[in-house]
Amino acid sequence: MEKIIEVRGISKVYGKRKTKEKVHAVRDVSFDVNRGEVLGLLGPNGAGKTSTIKMLCGLLDADAGSIHINGLDISKKRLKALEHISAVLEGNRNLYWRLTVRENLEYFAGNRGCSRKQVAVQAEKLLEQFNLKEKENELVNGLSRGMQQKLAIAVALLANTDVILLDEPTLGLDVEVSYELRNILKTIVKEEKRTIIISSHDMPVVQELCDRAIIINKGEVVIDDRVENLLKLFETRAYSIKLGEKLSVKQENKLLTRFPLSTYKASSHETIVEVNLEQGQDIYELFDILKEEGTMVESIDRITIDFEQVFIQIVKGGMTSEMAPLIQC
Amino acid sequence: MKWLHLFNANFRKEYIEMKRYLPNTIALVVTFYIVFLAAFFGIMFVGDPANFEMNVQYSIVSVMFWRLTMMTMNFIGYSVITEATRGTLEQIYMSPRGVWKIMLTRIISQFGLQSVIMVILLFGAMLTSGQWLSLNPLTTIPIILVTMVSMVGISFMIAGLAIIVKQIQAFLQIFQFVLMGLVFVPLTAAPFLAFAPFVQGVNMVRTVMIEDLTLTQLPLLDYGVLLLNSLVYLILGLVVFHRCERIAMKKGLLGQY
Repeated sequence: MEKIIEVRGISKVYGKRKTKEKVHAVRDVSFDVNRGEVLGLLGPNGAGKTSTIKMLCGLLDADAGSIHINGLDISKKRLKALEHISAVLEGNRNLYWRLTVRENLEYFAGNRGCSRKQVAVQAEKLLEQFNLKEKENELVNGLSRGMQQKLAIAVALLANTDVILLDEPTLGLDVEVSYELRNILKTIVKEEKRTIIISSHDMPVVQELCDRAIIINKGEVVIDDRVENLLKLFETRAYSIKLGEKLSVKQENKLLTRFPLSTYKASSHETIVEVNLEQGQDIYELFDILKEEGTMVESIDRITIDFEQVFIQIVKGGMTSEMAPLIQC
Repeated sequence: MKWLHLFNANFRKEYIEMKRYLPNTIALVVTFYIVFLAAFFGIMFVGDPANFEMNVQYSIVSVMFWRLTMMTMNFIGYSVITEATRGTLEQIYMSPRGVWKIMLTRIISQFGLQSVIMVILLFGAMLTSGQWLSLNPLTTIPIILVTMVSMVGISFMIAGLAIIVKQIQAFLQIFQFVLMGLVFVPLTAAPFLAFAPFVQGVNMVRTVMIEDLTLTQLPLLDYGVLLLNSLVYLILGLVVFHRCERIAMKKGLLGQY
């Protein structure tokens, strides 16, 4: 597959103004993005995601490493590289609120050197696609946040670049608009075959749209894998076991010692153990603990987990890039 | 061709925004008209009656140029601050045409629009005072255009400063009085001001309009100083702007306000 973005060992250090303390926002981050791929760039707040995104857009200089967009080194040929990338960085704040919907589309296209005539057909198509046609002559400040967000994405799409970067495309939107936007993005992904990088905390968006996910934590890449692999990886080893009776204190201690991430819930009507097994054969150890006092097993269910849980487990579990290959084995 | 589309887009944006902020635009025009009236009545009641006509004509040209320089140069500073606040500054930094070109087209657009307002104000002032200046467009327009080049240079310096510092409103407010001083003080009283931006040009236009001169009647040395002055300030402006951009990109200041 042809690589459209090549990131090699980028780092960024900020100096705190008062204390002169150095903060490593990004440390030696490397990854590639293939043409037509939809990549999710994820991480908790302060993980170094935004700095990475800004370096990709040529808005922030990397202290070390290199970024090539379509073979062009962004630090040396920034403007040429920007021909291939457009972005929605601050959603609805990326627009001119005193201009109308259509004027915004035309203005940003003009800023890339295109005439209104050149983009007329595509602008029309985008207005229809994003359900903004009726509002095309309304000022942006009179639109709802959802509509503003849709317009910001339409502006980025009108640039007709190979790569589109969407930073938090569904942030602050209600469920209905978020769902609508997700469907529009899904259609775009399907029809246009463009390379899209989505940075989001909205995991259903990532799970539904992205082929691959990179998770950054504390400035480092901790996971870089296909979304389906990550889901599979966590899904296959998480079980919910319904027991016929409560565990003894001894059993409970053994369970929590052997499986520290497991949860044991005992109430008057049911007793459930949720356990995440590192290896398939670990289940025998679990059964040994249950067998010790003849605890009855009523049912065993595989826990289907969504990408949000995967993300939390990776980030909260403190997984690093060194540990990731071990898990995949 | 891309330059033309870039200019069209930015001129259109400036024009539309000026129309949409019409009350603000009108308020600014009225303010300057009031400043002129204050100068006019001041000259009428406390000025030397022997030089009345000369002084009124001097103040008409000076007030007009003060407005033009202020609106053109301070505009870009406020424009950068507004863009940073709105969140559009990073977006224009993603244009493959380059921000300096976007800024340049905006400055030129703003200069063009403000020039139209200046002409309306000029006629209003001449009508009020009954003092009719010689406009000599064939002489004044080329001089104004060359003078504009130095204004563009200063505008770029202000834009660069605004990108890094962001909150430069206080500086811009003081700067409007610096501009006032540069426009109003005659070169005969302070010849060294010829090295300050646009002063030489303003002085030449004022002389042409008051004394009814043509291009050929002005000393060659004046043209030399004007050209050199404009060129130096333009280069200096672009260098400062570029340097500020580099600092902003290094420190990640583009999106911060």
